[in-house]
Amino acid sequence: MKRAQSFWVPLVLFAGAGVLALNPVPFESPVVSVTPLPARVTDSAPVRQPKLVPEYRVAAFTYQCSDCHRIIPSPQETLRSLTQHTEITLRHGLNTRCFNCHHRTQRDAFVDDWGEPIPWNQPQLVCAKCHGPVYRDWQAGSHGRINGFWDTTRGPQTRRKCIECHDPHAPPFPPMRPAPGPNTLRMGPQEPPRHAAEHDPLRVFAPDRAPKPSH
Amino acid sequence: MANPDSNPSSGAAKPATPEMSRRGFFVKGTAVAAGLSALAAAMSPLRHLSADDLPGLEEFLQKHYKEMTPEDKTRALARIQEHVQRRFGVTAKIADPPPLDGVEFVYGLNISRCIGCRKCVHACVQENNQSRSPEIQYIRVLEMEKGSIDVESANHHYDSAQVPRPDKWYMPVQCHQCAKPPCVKVCPVEATWQEPDGITVIDYDWCIGCRYCEAACPYWARRFNFTEPQIPAGDLNANMSYLSNRPRRKGVMEKCTFCLHRTRVGRLPACLEVCPTGSRKFGNVLDPNSEVHYILKHKRVYVLKEEVGTLPRFFYYFDERGSRYREPIAPVNPKEAR
Amino acid sequence: MKRYGTFLWDCFRLSFVGDWRYHLWMTCLTLVALGGVYAYCQQFVHGLVTTGMTDQVSWGLYIANFTYLVGLAAAAAMLVIPVYVYRNLHLHDVVIFGELLAVSVILMCLLFVTVDLGRPDRFMHLFWRFNFPISMLTWDVIALNGYLLLNLHICGYLIYCAYCGRTPRKAFYIPFVFIAIAWAISIHTVTAFLYVGLGGRPFWNSAIIAPRFLASAFAAGPAFIILTLQVVRHYTRHHVSDDALLTLRRIVQVATIINMFLLACEVFTEFYSDTRHIASSRYLYLGLGSQNALVPWIWAAIGMNLIATTLLMLPASRSLRTLNIACALAIVGIWIEKGMGLIVPAFVPTPLGEVVEYLPTLHETMVCLGIWAFGLLVYTILVRVSVPVLAGEVTHAQRWSAPNPRPLSASSWRTTHS
Repeated sequence: MKRAQSFWVPLVLFAGAGVLALNPVPFESPVVSVTPLPARVTDSAPVRQPKLVPEYRVAAFTYQCSDCHRIIPSPQETLRSLTQHTEITLRHGLNTRCFNCHHRTQRDAFVDDWGEPIPWNQPQLVCAKCHGPVYRDWQAGSHGRINGFWDTTRGPQTRRKCIECHDPHAPPFPPMRPAPGPNTLRMGPQEPPRHAAEHDPLRVFAPDRAPKPSH
Repeated sequence: MANPDSNPSSGAAKPATPEMSRRGFFVKGTAVAAGLSALAAAMSPLRHLSADDLPGLEEFLQKHYKEMTPEDKTRALARIQEHVQRRFGVTAKIADPPPLDGVEFVYGLNISRCIGCRKCVHACVQENNQSRSPEIQYIRVLEMEKGSIDVESANHHYDSAQVPRPDKWYMPVQCHQCAKPPCVKVCPVEATWQEPDGITVIDYDWCIGCRYCEAACPYWARRFNFTEPQIPAGDLNANMSYLSNRPRRKGVMEKCTFCLHRTRVGRLPACLEVCPTGSRKFGNVLDPNSEVHYILKHKRVYVLKEEVGTLPRFFYYFDERGSRYREPIAPVNPKEAR
Repeated sequence: MKRYGTFLWDCFRLSFVGDWRYHLWMTCLTLVALGGVYAYCQQFVHGLVTTGMTDQVSWGLYIANFTYLVGLAAAAAMLVIPVYVYRNLHLHDVVIFGELLAVSVILMCLLFVTVDLGRPDRFMHLFWRFNFPISMLTWDVIALNGYLLLNLHICGYLIYCAYCGRTPRKAFYIPFVFIAIAWAISIHTVTAFLYVGLGGRPFWNSAIIAPRFLASAFAAGPAFIILTLQVVRHYTRHHVSDDALLTLRRIVQVATIINMFLLACEVFTEFYSDTRHIASSRYLYLGLGSQNALVPWIWAAIGMNLIATTLLMLPASRSLRTLNIACALAIVGIWIEKGMGLIVPAFVPTPLGEVVEYLPTLHETMVCLGIWAFGLLVYTILVRVSVPVLAGEVTHAQRWSAPNPRPLSASSWRTTHS
């Protein structure tokens, strides 16, 4: 009978084999399926697509600026509400005078510092009158959006002009809705970071700093 | 297992009998069979391995990228193309662009202009064939607090209705292609190295997946494929290269390569092309006419986590002029497009 | 050479011989090890997503166990140094068990590293392009494999000589013993340098990590050996003197005191200076906001280590029962503090400040338990084989050339408790 003592070993191993073959601990993947991205996320078009020609669309008709403004005389000075072009609200900071940029008589053009017209498709020369440093940066390529090739010997490079990003009448770059944040593998619940103790001077500027210090 | 002598009392004076009796043989055989069947059952999950999971003989014997002859590379590219065709049903164009002479790439990021829209993140994902599930994104945009350049106070998961939020500033972080890369230092098999044009690359067919480089990177720039990456076939970018955006397999590392399949043929990287505010600047720092040269020369530029001493090639800058503000700046080649 | 073949065959057969308790132990270990094989096969099919690791916490339980076990392996030197350097002969009879433990523990370390690899089928890339001496992982590969070979040689030679019935020649093992002493310190220093050399992780980038590694290794290792020697004494006829256990107690005592002192140094440096770099320490000891999964673990570990240190300092621990409690507390406490308390916090928060917590999955735990079971299996077999052979009960002459060849028997097993 004592020899039977170890007979249970193969039996146990066979039982173990049976259990393992039945896949007792299956793997459930924590990988979540992808939520489709909203279209705005992959949209690479510039925020504005101005046509860079002196045209104005009213109803179904497209007019050249000079069509009307040849007839209508320009007032001496502006800073009044417009009767036409009511969609335009001038919020250009200290620049409240329309004729700083627009030519008083040749409405198909802008105006430079000496009263000479600047063509409508060269808006950057208008902006450069006041925004010198940014214009220099734009010329060097440090400001503004560039697409295409960094190596212009191999291909063309597209340099966006000012008003392709900035509305000339309300130039601050418009805020936009961001793309969704990261959702990586097993990320777990994420809370906003908590910072600053009670005596941090910057707490004055931190609307969402939690009251309890942790760092 | 059940040896005839397991009874200790019978161990002393035993006549010289053969140790192997028929019964003993049967018992031992059963035990061996039991052990082997248990081992086979334990290994039964391996039946779910597909033929695609295991490397073919040619891939198994493939040399390190730096040791491959041009014929080896041609064969490897053909194998990858065939693999992409099989897996995605897409005919890909897989190239191996060499580094350009006299070129050292540098990236500039204008933190006066970044609004935190995260379009760069998704353009990169699309361009570089990154896994959508599980999600891998090379670029991580940090929403930083006023007065802080410490990433400990950054918010990675901001999701407000509008960006930029007041009193925040935004700092996208991706691989900085450091000049003294700690990831290259620690890789035990030299699967990652720095190319002459400054880009740190990975040979996805050489990486053993130890993740030491991921631990070493001070910028959390490297990603690991914990499982087989999933990319919808319709979203695949078919313009690929060996060292950058060809589809990876599970178990290997990947990271931003400054889109070397684009930049080594003169194009701009995908993250830069999509940025709506033009905050991203890229080019050859050795070219005195490039934007990045201008930026590094004239702008207030800083390096993230400079104290780790890795000498990144990614520079954050502000739009105010730097120490040369008394110098007149005449653009060397005023560039007026169109 | 033929004798070596019969030696291996006899060892193989001897490892199956034993009473029902031995078979029960081995069967249980085999079942756990098979569970580990099963879980690893699933990991092989699906990738490392079966574990709880993420891009944020890219090293977890596998590397934690690896780090701890390298320390245990290094502790074999703690038996060797008193005997061969200081001629403390209390430990002379038990040195072999320390070295056998080193063999089985290094095998466990190598297994833990292998299961952690994303592409284990590519491990031969280490031979074709080996980034030595710049990458610390290459140093670790050389150190661990060298240590394994050293200990295999020393133990194998001594046991084989006993099997052949001849006295071992000193030139064939004494030099290797001394090399092994230095090598043992090196393996754990090299493993520590894996972490210390990363400037991007301030939690690791501190000079105190390597000394702390050694201190905790020399506490946990001999504590483990104290416990296993008592098992050997209970179940075999091998003589283990109480003096041996008390010498080991002295070693553990000093090591735990040093370990506690170094812990105090670390805690002071971090929390008194209170810079932004201490975020990982803050996560470990206090938690960051509501993310505080490791806090109970580390405080439990510190508590266990403090109790163990106190017990060891008291004369009460000269009694085996108290000593065993202290050793068990030290072993578990150091496992927590070195494994989870060292590896995981360095990844939280990430270098970019994100906080993602780590929780090992069931599959990951099964693989770890499987490897531990395999290591214990190997160690049990090594002890099972070495005790009778070293006692001269199993020799080549008796087994193969005598007129009445002696069968392998369980007679070297103790059947009554002493």
